[in-house]
Amino acid sequence: MRPAADATVATGAQRRRRRGLGSDRLGPFGRFYVTIMTGAVLIPFLPLIVGSFAFRWTWPDLLPSTWWWEARGTARLPQGWDYIFSPVSRVVESTGNTLLIAIIVTLLCTLISLPAARVIARERFRGKSFIEFFLLTPLIIPEIAVGLGILVTFIQLGLAGTYLGIVLVHLIPTIPYMVRVLTSVFQGLSSDYEEQARVLGAGPLKTLVHVTVPMILPGIIAGGLFAFLISSNIFLLTFFIGRGQIETLPTLLFSRVSGGGALDAVAAGVALIVCVPGIVLLIITERFIKEEVFAKGFGG
Amino acid sequence: MQSASLPPSTPPSGARRASGRRTWMRRLYVPLMLAPVVLTITTLFVGALVVALLQSFGYAPLYGINEFPTFKYYGSLFSQAGFWASVGLTFYYAIVPTIVGTILSIYLALALRRRFRGKGFVQFVYKLPLMIPYLVGVAVTIVLFGNGGIIARSLYAIGLIETTRDFPRLIYSHAGWGVMFVYVWKQVPFTTLIVYSVLMGLGRESEEAAATLGANKWQTFWHVTLPQIMPGIVSATIIVFAFNFGSFEIPFILGGGFPNTLPVEAWRAFEDADYSRRLRAMAIVMVIGLMSGAVLFVYLWTYRRFERLRGRQ
Repeated sequence: MRPAADATVATGAQRRRRRGLGSDRLGPFGRFYVTIMTGAVLIPFLPLIVGSFAFRWTWPDLLPSTWWWEARGTARLPQGWDYIFSPVSRVVESTGNTLLIAIIVTLLCTLISLPAARVIARERFRGKSFIEFFLLTPLIIPEIAVGLGILVTFIQLGLAGTYLGIVLVHLIPTIPYMVRVLTSVFQGLSSDYEEQARVLGAGPLKTLVHVTVPMILPGIIAGGLFAFLISSNIFLLTFFIGRGQIETLPTLLFSRVSGGGALDAVAAGVALIVCVPGIVLLIITERFIKEEVFAKGFGG
Repeated sequence: MQSASLPPSTPPSGARRASGRRTWMRRLYVPLMLAPVVLTITTLFVGALVVALLQSFGYAPLYGINEFPTFKYYGSLFSQAGFWASVGLTFYYAIVPTIVGTILSIYLALALRRRFRGKGFVQFVYKLPLMIPYLVGVAVTIVLFGNGGIIARSLYAIGLIETTRDFPRLIYSHAGWGVMFVYVWKQVPFTTLIVYSVLMGLGRESEEAAATLGANKWQTFWHVTLPQIMPGIVSATIIVFAFNFGSFEIPFILGGGFPNTLPVEAWRAFEDADYSRRLRAMAIVMVIGLMSGAVLFVYLWTYRRFERLRGRQ
């Protein structure tokens, strides 16, 4: 911004700026729009929360006529949250599976992507733009096209319905993002420090452990959180390769909402539980993930 | 890079062989570093596509079928009206929410640059749908837009409708309002985040210059802001369109039954008790990949050409 000019003699441009474009304040329509968009995100969760606590919620009541806690003692079947936390519902098991798979995928994906990201960020070599494009293709080719081909192969190899099979397919959508995040991490990092360490006599391993890794660690954590999130949200590939034998939170939610008709209390509760990893990560990533990571695109 | 920082001194004896080894290692350095990623993606991703391609042309010894090469699975697809209805639905569900979502996102990203009360809260909350599975969006849509949903109940409460039948079918119908709502709800944060980060990287100097030179808001947006954020918009729409085109669970749950989108039809064919139908599924999947790829190729090509015409590389 320019230093403040003499307030008494504002030029036309300054006046215009104060009124319209240059003014930093959001106008009334903009505020209205932002409120609507925020409401569109949050308000849909309200009926989900209310629904998860409902015992009887029939047409046309806007609120349940009987709440969960009113019927807890008398109901024959466990309702709402009682059911969700009972072992029958498989919620705890699915949460465990989701976390386990996401952690392994994150570690594997980081290990695989780190060397490539470093080379793409720092070296010039023939076919570089092809490699960069190649690593983005999993984002452009629809997952189902890959999913069925893999499923056939994995059935043959005995990998369908196994943790290994699911971890392997989860690498496909996570690697492109991880490479992208880590590449931008290496680009933002000058190689001077590493060179200085080498000049001062540190070996390649020592340089890696004492210089490179500490410097890129925040970036690795950011990329890792991102991969974790993607993996824990994947439905299609888990559904295809898991074959119903390994249930994660998204596949559990699928079996709850795909019945058609209205949503029962258990489905509403499961939908809320499925949001937990995302909300936790949203809180964490507010601090870690730089938005500029997304800025580089296909177009430029 | 490293050799450049070494001081130019006379090499000690025997350095020739050592430096020979170093150049050899340097030559292998890039391929070795790239190998893990390239091999993983090639085996899993390209491998899967090759398997699907071979099967779609009739090579499936596992089911005792080997008619390679045959076009009959494609032929039987292309000759059915239901297939073309599926193609139409798939394009419709993919394109409309991409366009609507992008417009909503551009305005949201522009608004987020300004100051307003509660900005920190909004910037935090708007990303929420980005962080959770699409299926939560499906659940939300059923609760809101179902015939016994909250909106229908609200309309009853104010006396506009009498029974659930009076409420228009927004989900479980071919019009696909529910399907497209889920896409927009989930993808606006994604596109907004990309556009917003591009905007942040740009700064406001050129816009201020345009305003100083007398451009009004619309002129500034069309001629200064939009061209600058175009790369972000293009990459976001590419990812969003590709996702929508190949999305399975959302039209599967919220769509209107047969004919449904290509991915749903592919899954149904694959799950058929008759194993030979699996080859038909592979043919559908190949069509999905090709159509999506062709659309994106033309889109990107047009955009690049447009950029070149405008004199920007």
